Amino acid sequence: MNSTYVAALELAAGAVLVSAVMTLWRRSVRSIVSMLSLQGMALSAVAIVLALHEHERALFVTGCLVFVVKGLVVPGLLRRVSRLDPRSRESRPLVNVPASLVFAAVLIVLSYVVSSRITSMSPSEASHLVPIGVATVLVGYFMLVTRRRAVSKIVGLILVDNGIALVTFLLTSGVPLIVELGSSLDVLLVVVVLQFLMVSMRRHSDTDQLTEMKALRD
Amino acid sequence: MELYLAALGICAAAAVLAAVVTRRVRVVVSSILGALGCLLAGGVALRILITGSTSTFHTSQLLPMSGLSLTLDPLAALFILASAFVGVAACVYCVGYAHGAMASRTAMTLLFVFILTLLAVPAASSVVSFMFCWELMALSSMLLILTNQAHSSDARAAALWYGVMTQFGAASILLGLLLASLGTDQTFSAIGAHSSQLSPTLRSFAFVLVLLGFASKAGAVPLHVWLPKAHPEAPSPVSALMSSSMVAIGVYGMIRVGEDLLHGGTVWWWVSVAALGVVSAFYGALHATTSTDLKRLLAYSTIDIQGLILIGVGAAGVLNDSGQPVVAHLAMMAVLLLMVAHAGFKGALFLGAGAIEHATGTRNLDRLGGLIHTMPVTAFVVGVSACSIMAVPTLSGFSSEWLLLQGLLHGFADSSTPALIVMLLGVIALALTGGLTAVAFVKVFGIGFLGQPRSSGAADAREVSTSMKVAMGWLVVPSVVIGVVPGAFVALLNRASSSALATPVVSPIDKGTGLVLSQLSGAIEPAALFVGLVVVLIVVWAANQRLAQRRSRRVDAWACGRELQTPRMQYTATSFAEPLQRVFADVLRPQNDVEVTHVAESRYYEQSLLYENRVVDVIEMRGYRPLITAALRVGRFSRRLQNGSIHRYLAFGFVALLVILVVLA
Repeated sequence: MNSTYVAALELAAGAVLVSAVMTLWRRSVRSIVSMLSLQGMALSAVAIVLALHEHERALFVTGCLVFVVKGLVVPGLLRRVSRLDPRSRESRPLVNVPASLVFAAVLIVLSYVVSSRITSMSPSEASHLVPIGVATVLVGYFMLVTRRRAVSKIVGLILVDNGIALVTFLLTSGVPLIVELGSSLDVLLVVVVLQFLMVSMRRHSDTDQLTEMKALRD
Repeated sequence: MELYLAALGICAAAAVLAAVVTRRVRVVVSSILGALGCLLAGGVALRILITGSTSTFHTSQLLPMSGLSLTLDPLAALFILASAFVGVAACVYCVGYAHGAMASRTAMTLLFVFILTLLAVPAASSVVSFMFCWELMALSSMLLILTNQAHSSDARAAALWYGVMTQFGAASILLGLLLASLGTDQTFSAIGAHSSQLSPTLRSFAFVLVLLGFASKAGAVPLHVWLPKAHPEAPSPVSALMSSSMVAIGVYGMIRVGEDLLHGGTVWWWVSVAALGVVSAFYGALHATTSTDLKRLLAYSTIDIQGLILIGVGAAGVLNDSGQPVVAHLAMMAVLLLMVAHAGFKGALFLGAGAIEHATGTRNLDRLGGLIHTMPVTAFVVGVSACSIMAVPTLSGFSSEWLLLQGLLHGFADSSTPALIVMLLGVIALALTGGLTAVAFVKVFGIGFLGQPRSSGAADAREVSTSMKVAMGWLVVPSVVIGVVPGAFVALLNRASSSALATPVVSPIDKGTGLVLSQLSGAIEPAALFVGLVVVLIVVWAANQRLAQRRSRRVDAWACGRELQTPRMQYTATSFAEPLQRVFADVLRPQNDVEVTHVAESRYYEQSLLYENRVVDVIEMRGYRPLITAALRVGRFSRRLQNGSIHRYLAFGFVALLVILVVLA
């Protein structure tokens, strides 16, 4: 039983990180959003596995909520935006794809190095996976910095949020339901606002490349 | 205390009224209301000075932390009295003066707020109350400098300079007061009771911080740079208030914190105050002689008088620390008298300058002249006040500077080295600046009021309205009264100086109309001088009448044989100061440009000649400009970091996160 639990947990957490790295690899906005959807589902899987193991009903509800919001609703909204320009691609990121992948590897190593202290505070099967969450945060942040399109930046932001959520699940078996609810709704709201923003940006400057916003200084 | 609060309330009501009613009502009614408030505050202050009592007011409401605390003791009352006296004049003056931007809702409201804070700052008796009133005073005066900003870019620059200097000062004072109030509930009485338990280093550090702040408000060189910029640009009633009351409050702060709260500390504190004073007195007087802008000249002369006051404060502090309380009291009383006298004559001079600007449209002395014929009342006011500032006997400047000189001379009895240095430099500065001030104000009166008009504006000048004349006349009163019967104020001064210096002594000055120092030595009876002067004048006048009856002959004044006498043949303010400017060229660094245009046919004949003479503030150019340039360079560099790219801003965050992670791991 226990080994199944550990294997399931590792698989789900690994899927979160892999999907994060995949978003760096893929260029077309459609597949990036699919990766995000996959990550949301993997994250909910982590929560649900933990909930089943520890018999916590609240965490189970949280996991289902995460599945709905991060696995279905948010990617759905982003897909609607990307449908405005079906062939939109992350054509020229500030750091190219091979270099991004190398850098992602560096970030993962770094997160293993820096998380050793957190892991040693409460050794358990779950907390050994904390570096995966930290790595997801860093990869998400890296995506936020290096990708030019507004959609990619939103995806980066959600990656950061997912990473934080993963760390909280693993360390504390989930924050109280109300907090998780709040933060999920926050993310949803951000996505909705940014969606409006992007539509109006597209109307004004015919692109959602944020580099154009330099002209707004002063 | 209730009456004092009522006075503050009336000023606040005037401010509110000015904000809501129409222009005409605003200028007349709210000004009168403001003047009444000032009169009431002055009356309360006078009663405190006469009875020597102290009253306090405290409420935990209104302000955060410890609430609002006000304490009226004789020292605070004296400064409130001076501010209230000038405040009355400023309000009455406004009835006739306010026009254009000065009559606007904003400016009038701010004027009454400014007056209110001037009356409140000396009474504030906790750190929070003091800083609140202080900042309100600084902000309202800064905005008042901006009154004419629509027409003058200089006003904007002046307000910026003033704002930076005053905010630097306020931050420094706040830090100093917080250090001094460590371990107390931040009321002044608690700080005073507790300060002897602080370590000497901490006390000195607190004093230096506080001194920096108050010196920048008091206009002490080298923190004076805002003063010659701000005073000319502010409307005249505001510059009168700033120059006579606000800068004095800087001195009040030094006395209150240094003597009352920190109990005198060590000798070098007061030596540095006196050193600031010596430099300021000399530098201010020198620049006053060479300025041609009337209000700029007055601003520099304020720096000069403030320097003398600081010398006195320093001398009193040194003497008090080295066991000469009687002479210390004498010096402190001299300082307080000089402060009151300065409030009177400098207020009158600024209001007079405002009247001249109002009537002629310029304040450049080189374009004035002959105003004594068209503006006799203004001429009288400026004449008497100028005589007073030049320390002509029987006027207030003389009484107070004589007292200061006595304090310094008797200070030689203390034979410690710092005391000797302070007294010696003080006496020299007093003597030197006395001469320079005389040059400056002979120039003001001689060039401005005598001779022939040098511009059409000066020729067409008309005497100002009654309210302005009344206001100016009101400020001449202290010059004459303090000058003729200085002895009448001895008791008041003694109470104020006793509440400043911790060691009360029997007044070093005897009761009476004159100033008689029987415990030391030295006496003067200005009333007798005054009577003698009047008698001599009557005798001369009568003799002249008799002689004139014998042979009366009217002829033109002799003009060196010339038939023609044009205004351009007269001395100008620039040429009058030119010899002095040569003597002090090393300090003043004047810039002269001569531009000669020759006629086309021959180089030996000139078509036109342009002479330009500028005296810039050396300390500003050498001391502050490099600082400003460096700050701008840092600003430009940080703009390069901030290039508007959202990717870059995100990258900053990302790199910071990585660095923190690596450092913590």
